[in-house]
Amino acid sequence: MGLLKKAINWGIRKSPWILHFNAGACNGCDIETIAALTPRFDLERMGVIQQGSPRHADILVCTGAVTLQTKERLKQIYDQMPEPKFVMAVGTCACSGGIFDGCYCVMGGIDKVIPVDVYIPGCAVRPEALISAVQKLLDTLKRPKKRGEEDAG
Amino acid sequence: MLSALTKILVFPGFLFMSAYGLFLEYLDRKVYARLQHRSGPPWYQPLADFLKLLGKETIIPANANQRMFRILPVISLSAVATAFIYVPVLAKAPSASFEGDLIIVLYLLTIPTVSLFLAGWYSRSVYATIGSVRTLTQMFAYEVPLFMALLAPALIAQTWSVTGMAEFYSQNPLYHLLNIPAFFVALISGQGKLERAPFDLPEAETEIVAGPLVEYSGKLLAIFKMSAVCELVLIASLISAVFLPLMTGNPLLDFLLYLIKTMAVLLFLALLRSAMARLRMDQMIKFCWRILTPIAVVQIIINLVIRGVL
Repeated sequence: MGLLKKAINWGIRKSPWILHFNAGACNGCDIETIAALTPRFDLERMGVIQQGSPRHADILVCTGAVTLQTKERLKQIYDQMPEPKFVMAVGTCACSGGIFDGCYCVMGGIDKVIPVDVYIPGCAVRPEALISAVQKLLDTLKRPKKRGEEDAG
Repeated sequence: MLSALTKILVFPGFLFMSAYGLFLEYLDRKVYARLQHRSGPPWYQPLADFLKLLGKETIIPANANQRMFRILPVISLSAVATAFIYVPVLAKAPSASFEGDLIIVLYLLTIPTVSLFLAGWYSRSVYATIGSVRTLTQMFAYEVPLFMALLAPALIAQTWSVTGMAEFYSQNPLYHLLNIPAFFVALISGQGKLERAPFDLPEAETEIVAGPLVEYSGKLLAIFKMSAVCELVLIASLISAVFLPLMTGNPLLDFLLYLIKTMAVLLFLALLRSAMARLRMDQMIKFCWRILTPIAVVQIIINLVIRGVL
């Protein structure tokens, strides 16, 4: 049993499938996120594949400040993902609301709605920063205490 | 009894098929990546994906049919595993073989497609339903040329058993030069059977999210993915047994030849996948019925004439 759990944990570290969601970004971070998935940066080296369905995804890559319109949808997509799941806030707006903070239709950062594991500041973020963040997130899973397990317990 | 069980479950059977399937998936993705000028995934990638999916939470939608939703992946995988019993891996020694097993293999090959359709249907999701309907529509396009292309060589060999055909063509290797058009028809319609680009309409991510499997997650998705890679092994082995018959009689050498032949088939399929974009449904049906089927029909007529002359 211990061995199987270890093997599954290894699998989770080696095969992060991502889902990209635009919560109200200006499209700058989205372009960079898509750029990170192109052959030039080749994220498949680390096992990253972009998935269409939230049910298949492990990491929710969110860009932009959350607007009142996308709040419910973001929550829904997060709930549709199976455990263990992780959320990455990509870009300054996703981290804190950025220049849109305080606007009448903006909730603020992604963490106002769903729990966030990794914050990547930048306007817009570079693909290198995104790749480094994915690697750091996966490295934290090696530690004995994991967020996914806390949530499940 | 024990040796038969070992044959079915371990060596040329289920375990070998899954392990080889994972390897072929790696090879496919690696070749695909190299053709796009990138380095591609590491060798353990398909295994890591499979293990991860095993560890994920399995969500069953509230309005889906619970029992069907759970049972369909297993049916799909077991149909593929059953069909693999009749395909020769070691020379002249499939786990089971009888006159007419080609038909059994072809019919068992339909079950994964139908269970994919039912899986999407019972998910009760709009995307899944559209994907299912596409799966079934697509089946009407590639199924006929695939069956005809595989039956044409059987006419010359005068046997309906896969092993018998492989044996006949390895004794009379010149005859299989006749079947070259059917070989390409089988490869291309096999690509449709496997639902890979340019025939990946049911899974078209850019249009319908993930097709019939949109609601599947965790273990059930892992089994469906495993069944897909096993189907890849089955198609590659079937095509290489029927169209690329080269046997020496030495089991080890034959096994090596089997690996080389299936990898060559996969290489062609990977090339096809990376070279072409997704077709529209009407384009695919037109292509299959106007080009592939006539070639297969002509092949059958030629083979019948040659058989009459002989």
